[in-house]
Amino acid sequence: MDRHLPFEDELTALLPRLRRFAHALARSPSDADDLTQMTVERAIRSRSQWQPGTRLDSWLYRIMRNIWIDTVRSRARKEKFEAPPEEADSIGVDPTGGMEASMDLQRVMAAMQRLPEEQREVVALILIEGFGYREAAEMLDLPIGTVSSRLVRGRAALLALVGA
Amino acid sequence: MVKDETFFAWLDGELDAEEAARVEAEVAGDPKLRELAAQHRSMQARMKSAFDTILDAPVPESISTIARKPEPQVIDFAARRALARPAWPSLPQWAAMAATLAVGIVVGTMVPQRSSAPVEVSGGKLYAAAALARSLDTQLASAQSNEADRIGMTFRDQAGSICRSFTEARSSGLACRSGDRWQVRGLFAAPEGQAGAYRMAAGMDPNLAALIDSTISGEPFDAAGEKAARDKGWR
Repeated sequence: MDRHLPFEDELTALLPRLRRFAHALARSPSDADDLTQMTVERAIRSRSQWQPGTRLDSWLYRIMRNIWIDTVRSRARKEKFEAPPEEADSIGVDPTGGMEASMDLQRVMAAMQRLPEEQREVVALILIEGFGYREAAEMLDLPIGTVSSRLVRGRAALLALVGA
Repeated sequence: MVKDETFFAWLDGELDAEEAARVEAEVAGDPKLRELAAQHRSMQARMKSAFDTILDAPVPESISTIARKPEPQVIDFAARRALARPAWPSLPQWAAMAATLAVGIVVGTMVPQRSSAPVEVSGGKLYAAAALARSLDTQLASAQSNEADRIGMTFRDQAGSICRSFTEARSSGLACRSGDRWQVRGLFAAPEGQAGAYRMAAGMDPNLAALIDSTISGEPFDAAGEKAARDKGWR
């Protein structure tokens, strides 16, 4: 019996995990929810490109990661010509409110922000989302060796930042 | 000394049994490696438990509502048909004539030499082109948000071909499957001066409604039927 849930139900069931991944990537809870919302919107627009029977979660994570990278790059281009980012941008705390993140969550989000993007996405997928190296490599279109060496560096940096 | 990559691959359960046993033995005999493994396990557990709080938090409504299927564009065709009948007593002939006429009138303006034109002429017949053909191929009326083209109804004609009504930037029309293409059976230009807002208008062009009425056999497809038809390549 290969009975699939309707697309909308599967998508809805995956929202908490998508938000967790967004929080691991983004610099604040409100950015994370913007990222989640953009991901869901794009997923609905391009749902005909998803092949039923393949993993919806990997497909959604990939969409989110691509939107995040685009956002980070366009922000970097903008900031080159503008004042340096405010202090609040470089720590993982949202000064305008948004959802009130626990102290623990604020600390780990701040630590993730200190990692270079290419380490952050690998750490988020493997250590937090629990994907295997091969699955992460496929989602990121990277060789598995690259994923594993980025994970080593990301882990070492995190251990120094958040402690054991 | 075990390589960093191998050590962490062991920690993450990525090694095969044989290699895992080898690293395991090496770590067991090395207090520094044992300490490193413990530190990393504890660090990962802290990260994970902090981020896992999001799994239990409610998803903001702004996100959960858009994840739900957007309401399909409902066209109350039966009601329209009931209204239309008294006004057009000999509907099929009239509709066919109107459709032919409309195609004749709009082809001159709707088929410019641009790749963005919604239709193209081939062998004396009019076919959906480029973006419109793609929309007809892939788009489901039950799952469209802000695409440039909107699909209205999908149904079979009396000969058994699948037909779909559509609205694009400057026109609305009906296209039916012919081989691997969508042959345009009728194309109705948006009223002058309304092109931009045309697709937003709630009402269906009465000429298109009449054409559908003379073409349709049975009931239009529901969302499941539409999807099944797409999955079978509109056969």
